[in-house]
Amino acid sequence: MKILIVDDFSTMRRIIKNLLRDLGFTNTVEADDGTTALPILQAGTIDFLVTDWNMPGMTGIELLRAVRADDKLKSIPVLMVTAEAKRDQIIAAAQAGVNGYVVKPFTAVALKEKIEKIFERIDAAK
Amino acid sequence: MSNVLGSGLVDFENLVKDGAVDLLNHIEVGDFSGAIKVIQELSEARHKSFYNEVGFLTRSLHDAIRDFQVDSMDLVVGEGGKDAATKITDASDRLNYVIETTSAAANKTMDMVDSSVPVASELQSQARELRKDWSRLIQRDLTPQEFRDLYKRIDIFLSYADDSATTLHSNLNTILLEQGYQDLTGQVIARVNDLIRDVEEKLVHLVAVAGRVDSISGIEHQEKESEHDDTRGHGPAIDKQNNPEVLSSQDEVDDLLSSLGF
Repeated sequence: MKILIVDDFSTMRRIIKNLLRDLGFTNTVEADDGTTALPILQAGTIDFLVTDWNMPGMTGIELLRAVRADDKLKSIPVLMVTAEAKRDQIIAAAQAGVNGYVVKPFTAVALKEKIEKIFERIDAAK
Repeated sequence: MSNVLGSGLVDFENLVKDGAVDLLNHIEVGDFSGAIKVIQELSEARHKSFYNEVGFLTRSLHDAIRDFQVDSMDLVVGEGGKDAATKITDASDRLNYVIETTSAAANKTMDMVDSSVPVASELQSQARELRKDWSRLIQRDLTPQEFRDLYKRIDIFLSYADDSATTLHSNLNTILLEQGYQDLTGQVIARVNDLIRDVEEKLVHLVAVAGRVDSISGIEHQEKESEHDDTRGHGPAIDKQNNPEVLSSQDEVDDLLSSLGF
């Protein structure tokens, strides 16, 4: 299981990376916005995407839409971890096909819960 | 020309009111050349007030820029002199300092956590191993050789526990000291905040002066309604409790998503 973490702040990427490692996901790669994330995704080895919303260049919601619009990438589960908490934004993310939404500041428990829920759903759909 | 805000405009308005009465009087008695003269006087007065107000606006702008250089930036840089451009850059440098300091503190703290986690894990696994044999000792289940072995291992473990506690203690102290970033960055932010308040006050004053010029010259500006795009993001919501558009907790987000069928 290879996870791509997209956030413009390196400290936040590091926090998420450490939390994922505690959850047993040791294979992670990082990108600092959607523009740098897309080529990594298109290389075809990413199984799970964790992305922030507010980033310079390509934002997280734009990245999510690009992933869902790409036939090769559209089935990758996407977890949004962001400080953006407007009702309309969450609805927009849901409509764009997000699999989970965690608002910052978040707890290790919340992150774990959302990731597990995403995998449960995927397993149930199989 | 008066420096009191709006007084020039009030003078001009009074002049227009008086002139209107004069004008009517002249027309009623059929004195049209007198009427034309009143109109000319009013037109001149309008030009004069207009130039006065533009002059006042220019001077206010100049004063604001000068005050901005002398007072406001002193708040930020703590020294006088130099030109405004460098000082604005300095305020921005200071905010960059906040970004760098908070980032360095976060990384240092995570470095300390990263170096503490394996120490704690190793202590735990060694203690668990020893405990197994220790309970066998209590149950008098050990051979003399195993007992001698345990005897040595306990000694090694105690020395390791001592060293580990020292390492953890020192890491925790480093984490504690790193939190000093809050004081340092807080001071910088408070100063930049003072500067922004000061600049805002001066800008509001300038807008008021400019409004007088607009009012005399009859210029109207169209209000532009700017709408922020959700796609670009808004950053963290500062006043979540009083903004009905913003959800204030993960629970509310979960509720919203489940209402959408998630």
